[in-house]
This record gives sequence, structure tokens and C-alpha cells, in this order.
Amino acid sequence: MPRNPVEANTGHRLTAKKRFLDQEGRWGLLLTSPYLIHFLVFVLGTLLTSLYFSLSNYDMLNPPEWVGLKNYDRLVHDPVFWKALWNTLYFVILFVPTQTFLALILAVALNQKLKGLKLFRMAHFVPVISSWTVILYVTDAVFNPRFGMANTLLTQLGLDPQKWLQDEVLVIPILVLIAVWKGVGYIMLIFLAGLQNVPQDLYEAAELDGAGVIKRFRYITLPMISGSTFLVLILSTISTFQAFEQIYVMTGGAADATAAGGPNNASLVLMLYLYREGFSFLHMGYASAIAWVLFVILFVLTWIQVRLQKRWVHYE
Amino acid sequence: MKKHVLLKKIPGYVVIIISSLIMITPFVTAVFNSLKTYTQYTAVPPKWIPDPVMWSNYAEVWKLTDFSQYTVNSLIVSVLSVIGSILSSSMIAYAFARLRFPFKNTLFMMVLGTMMIPPVVTIIPQFIIFKNLGMLDTLMPLWVIEWLGQPFGIFLMRQAFLSIPKSYEEAAKLDGCNPFQIYWKIFLPMCKPALATLAVFTFMGKWNEILAPVIYLTSQENFTLPIGILSLGGQWFGNEQFLVAAALMSLIPILLIFLVAEKYFVQGANNSGIK
Repeated sequence: MPRNPVEANTGHRLTAKKRFLDQEGRWGLLLTSPYLIHFLVFVLGTLLTSLYFSLSNYDMLNPPEWVGLKNYDRLVHDPVFWKALWNTLYFVILFVPTQTFLALILAVALNQKLKGLKLFRMAHFVPVISSWTVILYVTDAVFNPRFGMANTLLTQLGLDPQKWLQDEVLVIPILVLIAVWKGVGYIMLIFLAGLQNVPQDLYEAAELDGAGVIKRFRYITLPMISGSTFLVLILSTISTFQAFEQIYVMTGGAADATAAGGPNNASLVLMLYLYREGFSFLHMGYASAIAWVLFVILFVLTWIQVRLQKRWVHYE
Repeated sequence: MKKHVLLKKIPGYVVIIISSLIMITPFVTAVFNSLKTYTQYTAVPPKWIPDPVMWSNYAEVWKLTDFSQYTVNSLIVSVLSVIGSILSSSMIAYAFARLRFPFKNTLFMMVLGTMMIPPVVTIIPQFIIFKNLGMLDTLMPLWVIEWLGQPFGIFLMRQAFLSIPKSYEEAAKLDGCNPFQIYWKIFLPMCKPALATLAVFTFMGKWNEILAPVIYLTSQENFTLPIGILSLGGQWFGNEQFLVAAALMSLIPILLIFLVAEKYFVQGANNSGIK
């Protein structure tokens, strides 16, 4: 047994390794240092500053003046804030389930071996990769109150033409419709990835047992992709709560920021209200308070969803 | 049997054909609209096919506006963001995936934590930071943070680096490479698909971004394409066919990138869904 040489050898390697570890440690810290700066300045720093602003009056010209909870108190009594909160909720409640449901149907349809699949899939990505400005002018052909296709169709059916995005009642449903049209292709893709992980023999076994299409969908597909569904719901709820670009672009924010939010604030969502207060009226303190309320809502929502997840998400 | 299988596929075909038509028709209509005169554009009932075909609408956009300037600005922002994010995110991700160093777990928790903080909370202080740095109304705030690593990119690249066998870096160590050389010469070239995914997503995100340009840019000549075209709205009220042409032109680069890199788009979307 050549014990000694081995021991000597191991000992030598250990010290070499230790020295390398020091070097490795230095390199590790050096290579990750950009993110440390990112975190300290743009995440932690901004979070603390934002919290401080929300407790101050700040117009960017004079130094912030501490006012305690006054901004939050004002928020609670501000009818425009409540309207914006309601509009946001209304948007999320209409949008998230519709998009998720349609994306799932499309994914199931696209998951079969069909001819021309790639082309069909690409068709669904064109709205996804378009900016909201492009979407604005593309959908104008449909929803323009003067000469859009939607009104032409209505008049041909003998119905009254509508003002669509300029209509207080219709503005949010139409925005949701357009948002679903734009986003459904992307969510479909996430479901498609989930579907491709479902073992095919499960379906074959169920088919042999005489389970029909609907039963197979209900008892195999849905539980097997519940992980993807959960992620889609969480991610799209969080991002929809922060919706800004679509509403800014499509309801007049571009022309006049102070007027953003559609007729009678009918499509004023929280992000737009934040933008308007902060960047149009320079009420940075008040806008920061709106941001924190939004943050807390998102935090609570995520927490609830994670708790509920245990009840219905199936993990292998 | 074969007929039966074919029959079963019919509902699927019906769903995706109808859905594809719904997706594409507005775009086709927009292309036709961009080639009309204003009178024809606003005709009631609408006429689909342009007559005469106004190819000159596209030329007018370039002639009458800062469109070329917007394009250059958008390119600067998108390209610098792509370079910054692939360099910094991959470097940071390499350290997280392959090196042992103090506070590694704490730092990685910070990366994950950042993904959970809604950007809305940090917008206003970020604006103040860039104001104090004298970067308002420049393109800098739109790309500079990308050079400090992006959580999504770090996450994506870390996954890619984790899948490389250990023997590669051991061989390189024996050859006397330091960690940076291993990252730069061996790991980076091995992860081109992940880099491409990150590049495609960063480019698309920046090309289409509206919130940050709206907040940071005030002079017309600094506008990027999406807000530049929006700002033309007032100027061309009553000539919307020009705006449609401008919007469609701004879509072309992204469409080309997408056609070339479609598989990376699919990969990236899947990665963002399943973690």
C-alpha cells in the first residue's frame, strides 16, 4: 500500500486548492461587483429613497419636506385614486383570465402535429413583437370611430356605431380585447412548453380506458400543466397591475400627458396616475405614495397566490 | 383508422386558422392603409385595396420628419443595451455558476429579490439619480443600467453555465487560465444559444420600450421610434396614413430579427415561464 506518496500528494493538492480558492474568491467578488453596484444604487438605494419621498412633499425643485403619512392620508380621500385602483382591478380581472384561457386553448390546438404549424405560430407572434405604437395604428383600422371596420360592421347589421376607445363604458373592455390579441401568442408559448412535458402514455392509457377529449383535458392536461398555469397567472397579474404603455399610447397620453386616462378618467390606471402626478405635476412625494400602495398590493397578491398554489398546483 | 385521425385534427385546424386570421388581418389592413390617400383611408364604407397605390407615403415619412434620427436613436439604445447585457450578465452569471466566493448566496438572493420588486417603486428615485448625473434628455438612462447586469440575463446565463461539465474548466486551469480567461475563452463561446436568447429579448424590449423614453426624453431629436412616431400624431392629424406607414417601418427591423432568431424567442419565452 503506497500510503505515504498518496498522503503527500493529497496534502500538496489541498494547499494548492486553498490558495486557488482565495484567488477564486477574489475573482468571484470582482466579476459580480457590477451587480453589487446595481443592487446598492438602483435597487436598495432607490427603494429607500422612494419610501422617504412617499413621506415627504417633493417637487424636484426644492429639497424634500418631511410630512409623515400625509400623502397616504390624502390618497385614502382621493376619489381619483380610488377610480384608478378600480380601473386597474377591472382591467386585471377582465384581462388575466381571458388571456390565460384563450392561450391554453390555442396551445392545445397547436400542440397537435398539424401541417403548417410554424407559420400559424409565427402569425401569433407578430402582435407580440410589435410596440404599442405599432398596435395603435394597426388597430385604428378596426376601432376608429369615424371609419373603422367595427363600426362599418355594426351599421351594416343595423346597429348604432360606437365611439370605442373614446367611450367611457367601452374603453376598458376594448383595451383588454386589444391587450389579449397582442399578448396571447406569448402566453400560448409558455403553455406549449408545459404541454410538451406531459408524457404521451398518460393520454394513451386514458384513451384505452375510454376517457373522451374533455375528460382527458380535465384530468390529465390541466393537472399536469398547473405549474405553468400558476406562473402565467402570477406573472401576468403582476405585470398587468403595472400596465402603463398600452393605456398611455391608446388613450391619449401621447397627445397630452395631463389628459391621459381616457374620457372622464375612465381608463386611468394606477401607473398612469403615478406618472401623471409625478412627471406632469411634479408631485413626486404623492406619486411615490401611489407606487408604494401598488407595491403592497402586488406583494399581498403574490403572497395569496403562493398560498393558494398548494391547493391546486400539481407537482410531480 | 387514418381517416379517423385526420377527422380528430379538424377542430384544431379550425381553431388555429381562425385565430391566425384574427392575428394577421389588422396588420394586412394596416399595410393597405399605409398605401392610401387620406380620402381613401377615411372612406366609409372602407375600401380594402388602395387605389391609387401611394408608395410615396413611405418617402414622405423620411422627408418630412426626424424619422431617420428616431431610427438612429432606437438603434443606439437597443445595440448598446444588447452589448451591455450580454457582457455583464454573462460575466456575473459565470461567477455565480462556477466560482466559490464569500457572500455568493447573499448576492444571488439579491438578484432573485430584484426580480420581485416592481419597477414602479424605483422609477422616481431612478429619475432623480439620472437627473443628478446630468443624463436627462440623453439616451444614457435607457441603456446604462444594462451594463450592470440584468436579473433575467443573469438567471438565464447561469442556467446555461451550470450545464457545462466540470472537466472543461479543470483542463483550462491546468493550462494556467485564470477564472476570467476560462469565462471568456471557454464558457462564453460554448453558450452562444443562451447569449442569442438574451440578445433577442433585450433588443426587442428596448426597441419597443415606451415608459423610460417617455420619462427621460424631452427633445424631439432624442426620441426613439415608438415615442417619435407618437409625437408626429399631432403634426399629421388628418394625414394618418403617414403615421401607419411610419409605424410599419418601425416594425421592420424587429420583424427581421425575429424571423432570423425565432427559435431563440421561443427558447426565451419558455425560460421565462418555467424556472
